[in-house]
Amino acid sequence: MKNIKNIFIKTKYDSDNLGHFGKLGGRYAPEMLIPALEELETAFNKAKKDPEFQKELMDLYENYDGRPTPLYYAKNLTKKLGGARIFIKNEGLNHTGAHKMNHSLGQALLAKRMGKKRLIAETGAGQHGLATATVAAKFGFDCTIFMGKVDYERQRPNVFWMEQLGAEVVQVLHGTQRLKDAVTATLQDWIANVDNTYYLLGSVLGPHPYPSMVRDFQTIVGLEVKQQLKENYNINQPDYIIACVGGGSNAIGIFHPFLDDKKVKLIGVEAGGKGVKKIGDHASRLQKNPKIGVVEGYKSYFIQDQDGQIQDTHSISAGLDYSGIGPQHGLLFQKNRVEYHYATDKEVIKAFKILAKQEGIIPALESSHAVAEAVKTAPKLSKNKVIVVNLSGRGEKDIFIVAKALKDKKWQSFLKTQI
Amino acid sequence: MNKILTQLQKIKKENRLGIMTHIVAGYPSLQKSEKLLLTMAEAGVDFIEMQIPFSDPMADGPTIMKANKVALNNKTKIKDALDLMSKLTKKIDIPLLFMGYFNTIYNYGLEKFCLDANQAGCSGLIFPDIPLDEEQQENYIEIVRKNDLIDIRLLSPASTQDRIKKNARLAKGFVYFVARKGVTGSEKSLDKSLEKNLNKIKKHLKTPIAVGFGISEKAHLNALKGKAEIAVIGSALLNQYNDKGITGVKNFLKKIG
Repeated sequence: MKNIKNIFIKTKYDSDNLGHFGKLGGRYAPEMLIPALEELETAFNKAKKDPEFQKELMDLYENYDGRPTPLYYAKNLTKKLGGARIFIKNEGLNHTGAHKMNHSLGQALLAKRMGKKRLIAETGAGQHGLATATVAAKFGFDCTIFMGKVDYERQRPNVFWMEQLGAEVVQVLHGTQRLKDAVTATLQDWIANVDNTYYLLGSVLGPHPYPSMVRDFQTIVGLEVKQQLKENYNINQPDYIIACVGGGSNAIGIFHPFLDDKKVKLIGVEAGGKGVKKIGDHASRLQKNPKIGVVEGYKSYFIQDQDGQIQDTHSISAGLDYSGIGPQHGLLFQKNRVEYHYATDKEVIKAFKILAKQEGIIPALESSHAVAEAVKTAPKLSKNKVIVVNLSGRGEKDIFIVAKALKDKKWQSFLKTQI
Repeated sequence: MNKILTQLQKIKKENRLGIMTHIVAGYPSLQKSEKLLLTMAEAGVDFIEMQIPFSDPMADGPTIMKANKVALNNKTKIKDALDLMSKLTKKIDIPLLFMGYFNTIYNYGLEKFCLDANQAGCSGLIFPDIPLDEEQQENYIEIVRKNDLIDIRLLSPASTQDRIKKNARLAKGFVYFVARKGVTGSEKSLDKSLEKNLNKIKKHLKTPIAVGFGISEKAHLNALKGKAEIAVIGSALLNQYNDKGITGVKNFLKKIG
């Protein structure tokens, strides 16, 4: 595979200079943070223009992270579903197990250039926290990770590994004790320690420049797919690309290089939880009466009531259990460039089992949402169509949740012996 | 004339430090928050911020975050805060301001909110997460002023010269200066560089300055005299209330008065 040299590409869905994606995005931050955001923006723009920065990042992608990740033709799954050909972009093979390393490496390099000494981050599933703790260890930063209490408890393996890597993991007790509250807690820490601390945000959300910057560091995923389809399979372009969407970083990463090519259909999959009818049962922002708001420094769609109070969400996957969605996704939704569907917890577990048994790949529960969509879509398409599924992460972290959902007796009795 | 301006003149004439306090509408209940505000007014404070509770109060520390949560658990709506404002401005004469986060009034409808706030007798708004930078998107300052309210601009120790100048040029009433880097909450001592930071912004300001975040003792107020026009006491007073009830609030305000 030829080396990719430039990840900073432009599309007609980019933000303006102030971070507005149409009417969404922006920088709705308190004065205490705005100078820090301006400093970050300046440093990022400077790094973008410096060939040394990209060279160093590409070297890390290849030799530390293990990129390029494979684009794998899932022959058995294709055969079982009996429709379109399914390819899997296996981001689970990144070092630490998910696409989160892509933007963590990029931002750690930037933090180093800015002379910061400490990294802080929010995490839901723990994959972003793990990636941040990893780059902190590698580059010698102090590191604090904020995690809602609910997520802390359900993603315990990642908490353990973050601590082994030297990070302090703080349980967030306020609000709904999930990802959004972790974001708030991290912003608050940043407000207090803005001089020496870099906020390594884990998705395409928050105030400008985060949504654009995190997207740019994830674009490597889509660029590789484009090249791998052509070089390895002689396919010029896919017909469909499917990715799960919490904040939306893996999805934007794989969509971005295809946005201006309207022939490629793009599908984002939200967490349908127990069903999208009732607030509190799901984390689907764009399914029923999407509502715009301004929270955590950006304007986008949020699950909220009439008064703009953010509401509880539910998903079997901690990484998608979030009430907001990145502002560029909001724009892509408004422009009908990306279709946003959902998968319920039940469909997700079913998809998880199919992929494991058919292909020997254990997907993260987040990524299983994308697989679930492929399971629904592929049989309806003809055999000459091509679907690419972004498998954002691998599933080892979910062992407790999956074993519980599958009511696995052997695992339950094993756990008892461990106490 | 807007009551904020009248009150500022009064403080100046009396040559003293003004006091602004804070309550959260609906905390610990609507009725009790009303009583708390009345107690503060009777004790002679100059301005009171009434916070509209929000699910994600980014700039607030533990004390006020918890109060927000309780108020929301009590099902306090924006409408309730407006009704409370209306009721209280009929009883007391000092300026009351709404404090909160942009999402609540954005969802209510900014135009409608400002109209209703004005009708309820509110004098100004303090909303930290709608900065100058989004004026073109939201026309916040324009809409607020059209409804005879004053939008209080915020500055912080992190503010650059450029941002100080931009905000100073637009400022009306007073500027709210955040005394230290961090969220709201009481502290034992004032930030060491506070005086230096105040001098940095004063050069560009024509309006008086209110200093908030971490102000909790009489010694802090003494230190602010002559350097700022208003001291803001938020969490410290709420802590008194949580520990010792209305009497605690009365005693505290008496002690510092």
